[in-house]
Amino acid sequence: MDRVGLGWRPEIAAEIFARLDGIDVVEVIADDYFEAPSREIRALRTLAAQVPVVLHGVSLGLASTARADVRRLARMARLVDRVRPEFWSEHLAFVRGGGVEIGHLAAPPRTESTVDGAAANLDRARAVVGSAPLVENIATLIDPPGSDLDEGEWVRAILSASGADLLLDLHNLHANAVNFGFDARDFIRRLPEDRIGAVHLAGGKWIGRLLDDHLHDVPDEVYDLLERTAAHASRPLTVILERDGNYPPMEELIAQLDRARSALRAGRRARELARV
Amino acid sequence: MSSPAFEGFLARLYVDSAFRARFLADPEGEARRAGLSCGDQAALRAIDRKGLELAAHSYEMKRRQTANGKRNGRR
Repeated sequence: MDRVGLGWRPEIAAEIFARLDGIDVVEVIADDYFEAPSREIRALRTLAAQVPVVLHGVSLGLASTARADVRRLARMARLVDRVRPEFWSEHLAFVRGGGVEIGHLAAPPRTESTVDGAAANLDRARAVVGSAPLVENIATLIDPPGSDLDEGEWVRAILSASGADLLLDLHNLHANAVNFGFDARDFIRRLPEDRIGAVHLAGGKWIGRLLDDHLHDVPDEVYDLLERTAAHASRPLTVILERDGNYPPMEELIAQLDRARSALRAGRRARELARV
Repeated sequence: MSSPAFEGFLARLYVDSAFRARFLADPEGEARRAGLSCGDQAALRAIDRKGLELAAHSYEMKRRQTANGKRNGRR
């Protein structure tokens, strides 16, 4: 069954607790808890007892020709073991290279070598953590230099080579489609229907290109893509609304979750009608 | 194409403004001095310059937020 939830943010923690009746699942940023004291981990376990929790990592840099750091993987493994999330996720990105920390997610060259690198790193993640993460498509402001695959080809190749499932970030997809001129709907249609496990929704702003900043409401185009994803995907979807600041009243966030639910229902109806 | 060396070059481009300025003045020269292949040099010569500047600025903002103690590593 599809479900809809929010990214866990300390700034709105009290409001989230007060509105768990309208929130099916909560996504926690793993990196915020790698060095957390025991009492904060206990608080996460208390949260997980009240609402399903999933973990989302941001610093492993798995989509790289460089070998993933086993110490960072072990850190994720310890947190997964302590919190027992329903699943964990990470990004198809690199975050460091040559001893330099970029400080955020960067799109690697979309090539067979980064496909192979991502698959090898996902195998390592599976071995160390005990499970592979869902892998998320990222937004990029720069057309990744050195690429010889388009984004859809590259993502599908990684899913095929690694066996990992996809966390489809629809605002990242929308932003990349706007910025680099491809059809986001076609991207979704070409995904293997049984490999989409989760979805992110977010908003952004125009800075000369569309920036995925998580500080704005989800735009209409992204709800449309959610409906199309629900029409295409064969598995239940976990849909997470990501908001990192500029918070509106909680009632407005809940309304965005409800709009997501409507889009999911419409997509699922379309899927059923197409199968008749 | 792509290698740890190429990714390292990109990481430095995104983070080091002085290096980025030298690169934009002579992309192939900087790539050659870094020991990158002819294919990598050609790819960097054709780099998306507008995207490079936007991305570098965005990454700098993220690093500042992290340095200021803002949690939620992901944006």
